Amino acid sequence: MDTRTAITELIHRSGLIMDDVNFKGYLDLCAPDYQYRISAYSPEIRKDMTWLEHDRAGMKSLFDNLHKHNSDKSPITRHISVCTVAIDEQAKTADVVSTLQVFRTTLDGGQTELFAVGRMLDTVALGDDGPLLKARNVRLDTRMLGFGYHIPF
Amino acid sequence: MSRNAVQWKQKPNFPESHYVDTRIYTEEDIFLDEQRKIFNKCWIIACHESEIPTAYDYRTFSHPGGPPLIVIRGEDMKVRTFYNICPHRGNTLLYEPVGNAKRITCIFHAWSFNSTGDCVDISRGKEGYQDRFACKDAGLREVKAEVGFGGFVWVNVDDDAGTLADYIGDAMGLLGGHLDEPLEVFHYHKAIVDTNYKLWHDTNSEFYHDYMHYFNRITGMIQPGYFDRKYTGYPNGHASVGSMAIKYDAYEGSKARGVGWPGLAPGGWVLIDIFPGMTYNLRTSVLRMDTAIPLGPNKLLIEFRGLGLKSDTPEQRAERIRDHNQIWGPFGRNLHEDLLGVHGQGLAMRERTDSKWVIHGREENMTIHDEGGMRHFYAEWSRRMGRDAFNPYGEQTEAAK
Repeated sequence: MDTRTAITELIHRSGLIMDDVNFKGYLDLCAPDYQYRISAYSPEIRKDMTWLEHDRAGMKSLFDNLHKHNSDKSPITRHISVCTVAIDEQAKTADVVSTLQVFRTTLDGGQTELFAVGRMLDTVALGDDGPLLKARNVRLDTRMLGFGYHIPF
Repeated sequence: MSRNAVQWKQKPNFPESHYVDTRIYTEEDIFLDEQRKIFNKCWIIACHESEIPTAYDYRTFSHPGGPPLIVIRGEDMKVRTFYNICPHRGNTLLYEPVGNAKRITCIFHAWSFNSTGDCVDISRGKEGYQDRFACKDAGLREVKAEVGFGGFVWVNVDDDAGTLADYIGDAMGLLGGHLDEPLEVFHYHKAIVDTNYKLWHDTNSEFYHDYMHYFNRITGMIQPGYFDRKYTGYPNGHASVGSMAIKYDAYEGSKARGVGWPGLAPGGWVLIDIFPGMTYNLRTSVLRMDTAIPLGPNKLLIEFRGLGLKSDTPEQRAERIRDHNQIWGPFGRNLHEDLLGVHGQGLAMRERTDSKWVIHGREENMTIHDEGGMRHFYAEWSRRMGRDAFNPYGEQTEAAK
């Protein structure tokens, strides 16, 4: 598999594996120095906002604590389209820009609604064992999320 | 023992101040009455001064009583508020939520207004109106506005309303000295939930629901001092909850807060509810402000703001943002649970579900699990509405006659 295809598959697999609520599998796709972030721009206060920010250990804690919280159990699905892949051979990294649509499906009846749209801005580490997620910024256009959600996109 | 239909509808065996009829959450006529008698009479937070820092900056606001508003800072740096309605053909004057406008010009027919609400130009005015109508007849409708209590911009659409200071009274006492430094909004988002605004304010007025929050149980409820926190009620329906030391590092993956707040003890937490739907929530390093804007009896828009100190270094601000997000961000541990709770109430209490009563009966010497905060709110609600919350249509009085 060529590098570009491997990177694209990594990005898509990261969405599928989160849709499957396989948090260990997700963390296995992440480099040890992984940084995750959800951000958005607020035109109302004219400021960039960070809504969630964790390193790999922080993501693991978040996942480990989930079952102790009261959460909406409706499954969500992440529809990711990889748009650009810029490989830096020297730095052994790649910057990837994808568009993201998140849908939520109710448990009772299975009605699906669009939950959020945005972009995923990923940095991928290119190691000998294949690509790993090094940093992800989920840049949301949607800022109204109703009663919200506990699991990151 | 489960109950049959008659038993389900029987009045709870509590004093009438200790329960409410759920129709106050569901009936359209009561909601319209609330807009007239409560929201159009009370001081409401429209935005924060840091959102309009320079001359001619404006912010739009959908007032819960109905009128769309413009909050604008004048050349003299004074903040004023006007209806966002052109007096000519009723068009919206400013469409964006925020901006800067030395002149407010209606896109429809180019009538122009300045930041003090004066009409300064009517296009081809003389030709169309001759001497019958001119700029002096076409000013914007001004609404009372004051900046205070942490730099928030408060508005009151009642021309006869008293001052903001009179409305708040002593209710902000617990935050005295904590809001003296200039603040800055770093977080803003809205949520629309199918629920009644009072149910959201109730959630901010009682801590018994800490059972819903794992984070609060671990860092607060099982820690020393939790059950010493007390509610205090103030005139006009406001209430406050005293502080304790939250043990943030008791939650796995969390840590003791590094930055504090002027005058607040480490790990401190003070909450003040302002009638009818605003809450100051100062939790150790971050001030959160909720503004409840009802859109209907079972539809609520909540504005969430997170604030730090204007003097924050980038490192301090980043830490406040992290603290805020852990529990209160859109993906935070507590906010989702709170919203899920009132969403569930909205589901169960919407029209024709045969819900009947909500009980506010806990008495624990006004300490943290006492439901006196809600009782205090509904006493004021009943006074302003001219209806008893336990008997909003006067049926029990009629039956007694």
